[in-house]
Amino acid sequence: MQRDWSTPAVRHTSPVAKRATVLKVSGLRRAFGPNTIFDKFNLEVRAGEAIALTGRNGAGKSTLLRCLVGADRPDDGTIEVCGNPMSETNPQVRRDVATVIDDLDFFPDLSVVEHLDLLARAHGITDPDAQVDEVLEEVQLVPQSGQLPGTLSSGQRRRLALATAFVRPRRLLILDEPEQRLDTEGVGWLSRRLQAERQQGLAIVFASHEPTLVESVATRVVTLGAPRG
Amino acid sequence: MSTASVPSVPSDDSHGPDGTDAVDPTPVQVLPAASPRELRGLMKDWRRGRATRNVGQALSDAYVAVIAALMIGAMTVNVILKAQRVVAACDSASCLSARALLPWAAVLAAVATALAVARLFGPVLASAAEGFWLLDAPISRSRLLRPRLVAALAGALVGGALIGGLISLLTGSTGLESAVWAVATGLSASAAVAAAAAQQGHERHRLSRAASFVFGLLGVVALLGVVGVAANWFTLRLSTTLGTEIGTVVAGIAVVLLLVATALAARRLSSIRRTRLVSGGSLVKGISGAFFALDVGLARDIVVQRRTMEIGHVTPKRGHGEGLQALTWREWQRLRRFPQPLIAWAGTLVVPYASEALGMSAVTPVFGALALFGATVPMLNGLRVLTRTGGLARCLPFSTPQIKLAVVTAPAILAAVWAVLVGPAFVGVAGGSVSRPFGDASLMAVATAAAGLLAAIRWTQAKGVDFSKPMVSTQAGALPPGLVTNLFRGFDVCLLATAPMLLGFSPVWSLAISAITAIVLFNSFDAESMQARQKEAQRQLDLQKREREAQATLSRQRKR
Repeated sequence: MQRDWSTPAVRHTSPVAKRATVLKVSGLRRAFGPNTIFDKFNLEVRAGEAIALTGRNGAGKSTLLRCLVGADRPDDGTIEVCGNPMSETNPQVRRDVATVIDDLDFFPDLSVVEHLDLLARAHGITDPDAQVDEVLEEVQLVPQSGQLPGTLSSGQRRRLALATAFVRPRRLLILDEPEQRLDTEGVGWLSRRLQAERQQGLAIVFASHEPTLVESVATRVVTLGAPRG
Repeated sequence: MSTASVPSVPSDDSHGPDGTDAVDPTPVQVLPAASPRELRGLMKDWRRGRATRNVGQALSDAYVAVIAALMIGAMTVNVILKAQRVVAACDSASCLSARALLPWAAVLAAVATALAVARLFGPVLASAAEGFWLLDAPISRSRLLRPRLVAALAGALVGGALIGGLISLLTGSTGLESAVWAVATGLSASAAVAAAAAQQGHERHRLSRAASFVFGLLGVVALLGVVGVAANWFTLRLSTTLGTEIGTVVAGIAVVLLLVATALAARRLSSIRRTRLVSGGSLVKGISGAFFALDVGLARDIVVQRRTMEIGHVTPKRGHGEGLQALTWREWQRLRRFPQPLIAWAGTLVVPYASEALGMSAVTPVFGALALFGATVPMLNGLRVLTRTGGLARCLPFSTPQIKLAVVTAPAILAAVWAVLVGPAFVGVAGGSVSRPFGDASLMAVATAAAGLLAAIRWTQAKGVDFSKPMVSTQAGALPPGLVTNLFRGFDVCLLATAPMLLGFSPVWSLAISAITAIVLFNSFDAESMQARQKEAQRQLDLQKREREAQATLSRQRKR
């Protein structure tokens, strides 16, 4: 059965003032062989906006996010981040966009705190120690600060991945199911953190299956794919 | 399996119509605990029952492999015979003494390697299925694991004997001497594995780790001895008879150690923790999977991950600098934290000297580059992580070439130091037949170091084979592109960059090839981005074509 992918269901949950466009997606298309994941997909995200991508499994949320961060190449369409054409290898884009998607890797021989220290220093943060300590405490990884990533539980690894996005400067935050493997308390913290980020003017695009996270963070909800049944 | 009959016990609700308990008179068959042999037999039956081919069919399908094995065997024998003829030409006292030292180095290296490998895998291990089904069963764990211990010991015995015998034969030793050293090396390696197994039962690895380090160091000292004697820096009075006698003594000591350590290991088999046994099995499974895909890089990643998991916790160190400097500084800190690659790097300094001293001047650049290549790969863990997936590189605000340059700065400086330290070998101080002017020798040393470094970078950056791409039809069946070439990554750069020196041309040519290779490796001018650009250009062309066709259709319609 042919589905209409061109008009994703968009739901506004709160009005957003007119601010600078951070992410602009025009006519995006991605297909795997005969299977079209999305076509003619348009999206404009302004500073202070949070877009939640929802939809059933296989609807194309992760594929869309992979295209947005440059990890996957769309078949058609354009993506602009802060006016620059999207290119994963462009240093300016790397400076502006913080991502947490599934392909994040860690150095096997650097501890948790050393990863964050490296990222903070690489981004030229003036007081990296204070920034790292603050983020480390926030993600509750202080006791694990000296541990090597291979020994962390899946939930702790997720917290570390989120910490890598929060320890550095950013204008756009792209998260693929950030609530994954987090406990209830962790989801609550993430929700508050993302709300604060949005209020500070950060643009956020995230895919989620967690209704409470979507309700509390998103200013717009984009539902991909046809509803089940 | 045998069965026993016992009367059944009534359940709470098994009451008769009159409220009295109804006892079922028929006995229920209850299985007693199975023996290890019965469980193994059952598992074997499951595996064989699911097999789609028998051994005969598999062998007939693998005729190419059998022919290849025969060809490689014939080539090996040919090489041994040729090598024996070549080395027989040098019959001076220094040559004979140097050659007599090589089997010692082989024994020491075999023991060090056996200890390291045994510690990594167990050496006694069990698969996840065995861990789940058998190790929880009420059976004697030591009886179950005994065959595993014997297999590990036998493997070390055969492997060690092959290495010892081959090296002894290649250095022109007599048949008897080679046989003695083969037995001595095999028994020593087997004794080392038995000692590691005994330690495994006690959950201690400090002794085997220290022994591995000491034997490795002694192996390097023995190699230095070979160089020193061949270069006439000092003399050693070693004859064939003395070599055979020493080999016999080594074999005797190894037998005693093997018996004692095996007895200890067998007694402690039941105390090995299940997690330790299963983790060794899963490591083997992961590595064998990576090798089936001919992805050596992935196999190394699995080993590195395993080692860091064993370490678990480190004392965090504060970084230094900002931007790219922070990235480079972390590489130095990493080397300070885990300095083992530096020991291997120092060991490779011997190679050019040994090659020159043994009269193999023509191939010194190739051997030197290959040795440095092997020693540099463990220093490029940072590059590996940053290039195997784009995730971490995406977090850093630099271009990919900048990131690559920053993380290879430390190994590049070490390669430069290596070039300075091996420079005298190329001049000819090791006493070989060739001596070169200082300028040429310096350029050769730099070109060799560059080849080794670039080969390591190429090997580290190798992407896994993409099985989703269209296959290439070959005589051995359909293969994904890059499956076989992945095996030669790094080695190709070594050979290509050192080829001009090997053929007697100026080392400037080698440096020029290295410079081109560096440009390709460091810039985004790689196959992946080229394909992406090509795809983008094709997309633009298609778009223009569609627009032209649409305009043509429109104009035709207007004419009508």
